[in-house]
Amino acid sequence: MTMASQVAPSLEETIGPADGIVIKTHDLWKTYEMGEAIAVQALCGVSFEIERGEYVAIMGPSGSGKSTLMNLIGCLDTPSQGRYWLNGNLVSELSDDELAHIRNKEIGFVFQTFNLLARASALHNVELPLIYSGVTALERRERAEEALRKVELADRMHHKPNELSGGQRQRVAVARALVNDPSIILADEPTGNLDTATGEEIMKLFDRLHEGGNNIVLVTHEHDIAAHAHRILHIRDGRIDRDERVQ
Amino acid sequence: MSDGPRNASRQEASVGKDRAAQLRHEHHGLYSVWSASREAFWLALEALRAHKLRSFLTLLGVVIATTTLIVVMSIVNGMNLYISERIANLGVNVFILHRFQWAQGYESFIKARRRNLPLRMEEYEFLKENLVGYKNICADSRLGDIEGGGIDARYRGHAIEDVRLEGTTPSFIDMREEKVGIGRYFTDSEYQHSAMVCFIGQDLADEFFPNTDPLGKEITVGGANFRVVGVAERIGTAFGVSLDRFVEVPLTTYQKVFVARVQVSVSVQAWNSQQMLALEDEARTLLRARRHLPYKEDDNFGINASDTLMSAWKRLTGTIFAVTIGIVAVFMVVGGIVIMNIMLASVTERTHEIGIRKSLGARRRDILMQFLIESGVTAATGGALGVLFSFIISRIVAVYFTSSVPVHAVVIGLALSTAVGLFFGIYPASKAARLDPIEALRTET
Ligand SMILES: Nc1ncnc2c1ncn2[C@@H]1O[C@H](COP(=O)(O)OP(=O)(O)OP(=O)(O)O)[C@@H](O)[C@H]1O
Ligand SMILES: [Mg+2]
Repeated sequence: MTMASQVAPSLEETIGPADGIVIKTHDLWKTYEMGEAIAVQALCGVSFEIERGEYVAIMGPSGSGKSTLMNLIGCLDTPSQGRYWLNGNLVSELSDDELAHIRNKEIGFVFQTFNLLARASALHNVELPLIYSGVTALERRERAEEALRKVELADRMHHKPNELSGGQRQRVAVARALVNDPSIILADEPTGNLDTATGEEIMKLFDRLHEGGNNIVLVTHEHDIAAHAHRILHIRDGRIDRDERVQ
Repeated sequence: MSDGPRNASRQEASVGKDRAAQLRHEHHGLYSVWSASREAFWLALEALRAHKLRSFLTLLGVVIATTTLIVVMSIVNGMNLYISERIANLGVNVFILHRFQWAQGYESFIKARRRNLPLRMEEYEFLKENLVGYKNICADSRLGDIEGGGIDARYRGHAIEDVRLEGTTPSFIDMREEKVGIGRYFTDSEYQHSAMVCFIGQDLADEFFPNTDPLGKEITVGGANFRVVGVAERIGTAFGVSLDRFVEVPLTTYQKVFVARVQVSVSVQAWNSQQMLALEDEARTLLRARRHLPYKEDDNFGINASDTLMSAWKRLTGTIFAVTIGIVAVFMVVGGIVIMNIMLASVTERTHEIGIRKSLGARRRDILMQFLIESGVTAATGGALGVLFSFIISRIVAVYFTSSVPVHAVVIGLALSTAVGLFFGIYPASKAARLDPIEALRTET
């Protein structure tokens, strides 16, 4: 299949996606070279499109390539092969710094392990993306406070992460993902380190963000969590197994 | 193919969007570097504050290097001020005949001590008569030259110890820095008749005659009484020693009262600098002839001019600076390597943080700047500590010797230490900047 697409790429596959498509991937491959002989195929030709405003969950067994796919979508990593358009721009062939720019402007990432700077206050953590996009100190602070208000943490903005509960930390991370007004919010098992009740709180937050017009893609193991989404991509062995629409 | 036109127009739109994004990017580019740098600056200071002792140990090399540099520059600066003052004191276009050549090496001094003969009064008279074309000539002799110490001066129960007593010819006042404040210098007639008169420095006038006119009063110097005929203008201090504690008497009187056979220095003033060399040669020839020195033998006296002093001083400072540069370079390199190691450790320790920053849009140059600024700020803090220490040391040195911190030494010290920090920060910082975001994120700390 890959050989075929290399030899004779069809027009549809090489020119960009249609309007209203936020994410389009075509035949994404990711191979980890583990040494001389061993190579792990984490993704084996993944193609899909996500429309503006969609709320998508990615599910699949452990090791099926969900995180690998999320990292590619989030421009944290580059595919071994294949193409990826974000907002109509081909990003799979950009340089490090160009990808950094896209991560800064277009993508809000929420991680399973929060990934907050331990030494910085909640406010400073939320300000970080704005620092790298050159927003003035005053505006930065305003926007960071606004984002913290959205996640109902305005009263904790001067707390350090270790002074916050797990759920609060994840809310700081969500505020940080929101603050630069990205085209999509990506969340890799955002509730993986939280208990069910707290996880449900975070999911309500995502629901609200979605209602506010944000694009959300999240990875999860749990059906309860996936049930919040309107579409579920099932992944198995690095391939899309099933593309399920839910109501 | 049917949707070709639609695609084309969409591609145009997306190109336009690309362009807009790029413009926005460029617009924010410089400012984002600035704001990220400012963040890095405060982070660096905070890290220094958080680990005071560790930071100090890290910075020890840079601190020592900067302190050494500034202290040496300050002392040399202080000496420079002193030396140029001394040279000004010698007068313009003046050379001095003396038993010894000044500022020669130790070995040649030992040799000279064996063969050189002191200059005598007769030789001064001889030069004064036979040298032609000079502007002025004078002779002086001081007690310290022989005994290495001063003498006591008294007036009605007041006493000043360690006064510099000097015998001079009347022309002395015209050739040296000293100026007559009140009264006059002694006259040719007083000189010829070995009159018991003296010319005193301000310190003595202050001590003996705070409220009265010193002129005409008799003071006792070394057991003999002298009538004060004049007081010099205040000169000031050098190396913490007052230059205004002196008594000058006619050289003839000095010889009669204190020393049977005086040793003198003879100062000759030329009309201009072009005449200097010729006049020096003539004086040398005359003195050699009078001393019956064979053609091949070296001079058994010294001829000193301000350039002798100056070149000796330049040689000395050259050596001092060469040694200092060596020491400073070694400490700076050692300090730089220590900083580099600490920065490398810090990069490893903070790999996860770097991953987080990169995931949020930090570019390579942002991370590079962050770590460069950190090592620059760290080293500059060392430099600032060095400046502080050198000010303290310089203050202490100034009490016993001479030292004056020049502004450019502080600037050089700070600039050099910062430069060292930046230079040795390049490797760790570029290592941090090149980290892969995913791998950095995956690193647990
Ligand atoms: N850096 C890496 N080097 C080598 N192999 C890797 C690397 N990252 C992932 N893999 C491999 O790629 C495959 C997919 O990994 P991935 O992390 O995407 O799985 P996942 O679906 O997110 O699993 P989980 O649900 O456990 O998080 C796995 O077989 C994994 O071992
Ligand atoms: Mg995963």
